[in-house]
Amino acid sequence: MLTGLLQPTRGQVLFEGRDIQSDLVSYRKRLGYVPEAANLYPLLTGQEYLEMVGTFRAMSLAQMKSKISSLLELFSLFAHRHVSLGSYSKGMRQRILLIAALMDNPDVLILDEPLSGLDVTSVLIFKNLIQAFSALGKGVFYCSHILEVVEKVCSQLLILRSGHVIAYGSTEDVRRRIGQSSLERIFLELGEDADVVKVANEIVDVVVAPS
Amino acid sequence: MHLSRLFAGRMFHGSGELGADDLDLGMGVVLIFLAMPGVLVSLLMFEKYGSLIRFLRGDGTFDPFTATIPDEYFFIVLSMVVSCATALWRWNSIFLDRRDYVSLVPLAVSLAKIFLANLFAIFALAALLTVVVNAASFVLFPIAVVGSQGSFSKLFRFAFGHALSVSLSSAFCLLAIFALSGTLLACLPYRIVRKVSVYFRFAVAFCLLAPLATSFTVSSILSGGSKLLFQRLGGMPPWFLGLTETLWGNGNDIFFASLTRRAAFSLGLALLISVISYAVSFRRAFVRIPEFADVGPLPRGRRFPLPAMLLNATILRAAKLRTCYHFVSRTLLRSEAHLQIVLAFTALGLVVAAQTINSAYHPGFFFAAWPPSVALLSIPFILTYCLLVGIRLAFEVPSDLSANWIFKLWIERDGEHARQIARRVLLTFSLGWIAPLCLLYSALLWGWLTALLPTGILIACSMVLVEVLLVRFRKIPFTCPYPAFQSNSPLVLLAYLVGFGIFAVYIPRIARWALETRLGAVGFIPVILLSLAGLRQFRKQMLDMDKQLIFEEDSASRF
Repeated sequence: MLTGLLQPTRGQVLFEGRDIQSDLVSYRKRLGYVPEAANLYPLLTGQEYLEMVGTFRAMSLAQMKSKISSLLELFSLFAHRHVSLGSYSKGMRQRILLIAALMDNPDVLILDEPLSGLDVTSVLIFKNLIQAFSALGKGVFYCSHILEVVEKVCSQLLILRSGHVIAYGSTEDVRRRIGQSSLERIFLELGEDADVVKVANEIVDVVVAPS
Repeated sequence: MHLSRLFAGRMFHGSGELGADDLDLGMGVVLIFLAMPGVLVSLLMFEKYGSLIRFLRGDGTFDPFTATIPDEYFFIVLSMVVSCATALWRWNSIFLDRRDYVSLVPLAVSLAKIFLANLFAIFALAALLTVVVNAASFVLFPIAVVGSQGSFSKLFRFAFGHALSVSLSSAFCLLAIFALSGTLLACLPYRIVRKVSVYFRFAVAFCLLAPLATSFTVSSILSGGSKLLFQRLGGMPPWFLGLTETLWGNGNDIFFASLTRRAAFSLGLALLISVISYAVSFRRAFVRIPEFADVGPLPRGRRFPLPAMLLNATILRAAKLRTCYHFVSRTLLRSEAHLQIVLAFTALGLVVAAQTINSAYHPGFFFAAWPPSVALLSIPFILTYCLLVGIRLAFEVPSDLSANWIFKLWIERDGEHARQIARRVLLTFSLGWIAPLCLLYSALLWGWLTALLPTGILIACSMVLVEVLLVRFRKIPFTCPYPAFQSNSPLVLLAYLVGFGIFAVYIPRIARWALETRLGAVGFIPVILLSLAGLRQFRKQMLDMDKQLIFEEDSASRF
């Protein structure tokens, strides 16, 4: 719904005070989106895919070519640009999605588990990239289950459970309100009913039980 | 046993090739489809050999072992074609692949067990297909021919001879395909196999369709039962016909005995090669899978940038249209599943075209004769029709549905993009090469001025055909699930057949008339314009909702 792929049954998604559904095309032009699963057309090469996205984004040919080349180089994919996406590793596909989201200088980034499959260096680069991006005044909507990263890169926190908002505010505020020291504890306090230690022990019991 | 069942199921349901969503119709539906040709042809035999019909024709007594030779030949060819087509369809699922390696090798299952289980599954499936493809003719054909003669021994001899011949011919074809697939895997690097296998299949499909297309002609030649003609036929079907003759009591005949020996030898050889090649490919390809990179589909088409540049500068100037066109054309050329459909229809077109020339040919036939032969004029029409229908059908096969979010995100739903893209792909992939060839060969045969008319008619009629094929089209090709099976599907099939009759039979006749009268050509212009206007009006009357771009439909699982 935030990307405009789904229509809300009720409510609105507002961007700069306007309903995004009123002009989806111009909203998407300012949006960079990295979906949770790196679903890309395996028959296209990395370069072809990025050119397709660049054309959809109505980028000029010269700008598109130079951005694609530079970003491929920076994300260590330049040597693989003519290889089909079907042969890319999960991390490589994820990097292509990141390039596709960033290449048109978006004002809003929606990132759904963007670090999945990335190598250590790329994760570190990416964490810094998000912070640098928000320092430029751009909005980054970061959705993740990896709480350590969320804690590190997010200034505002929103916790959802079964489609309901159970906590919202700055990370510090939420921490203070719940009285917990880490996000992991906040999440356990608010979001999970299960006793995780007990469940883990029960799993071990089942695994080691004699047949 | 569990493993064999798993492998057999995988061969039926598809291997989930990278980038293609296999059409999973379910085992029952597949088996019914495979049995249908045999059922239909066997039922036709009741009409031909029914005692009442023979009595009315004044053909009361007949020798079933001589009179049925042409039909037996047709049954052998049909059995071979259906079996071979099935094996070609499931080519990628026959041998074990990376997915099997990843799922099975880490388990406590020995490689020998995996090897034997898949071998057993291959042979079990070959046996099942052999029975299913021929089951109806095992029973119905002997009853239709000998049932009324009141002799059980004759019925048994006829049925046994027929059943064994068609079964063995079917088994031979299946084994030959397994052998071919295994040999490719055993001898060539995996990358190359992926690249060339689709062309191999195209060649095999062409070789298969040729005897099917000529079977009626051959059947009429065989009515005489001359040994000389047997010799002239060549190929494998006559060997198995020789086997039938031997089993029907002509075993002492040296000629039939030699054909029977050839059939037995070829069957044994196919079995031997398929087992050896399977063993070698297992050792060379499957066991060493972790050593190879998962190359995925190979990018093609970067070697010829000029046509793409020309298209970009002419009919693909709009950016979104251009990028969607390149996506569709790349998928069509690189995806094995899609290329397979297009090549199958191309092979069909080539065979029908060859058969058309063959049937028109007679001693004294002159290619450059005036007025031009309808058969020669119809060649480009046949090829264009088959290719257009093939590509249109390929559009319905999705390619990695989960990746279509990029189109959902960027293509406006109320745009006309779908038809514009599909139209350009259809026209460039068919007329792009057929029209220049048509112009060239017509010019060589009848002169440049004359060549312009049939080529012009071909282009105009193809444009109308494309509009007809796309009249309700509203998807970006390859981005939607399979359309659900609809109750009007038989009607659609019938429409395609009628369309072939009009496009590839009647229009070439009209083209010839136009060439003869010259004035007739002028009459074509209003007909084409009226057809296009009619289609435009039809689309205008459609609800806006029915014109909107879609990405989802009910899945074919309801089938």
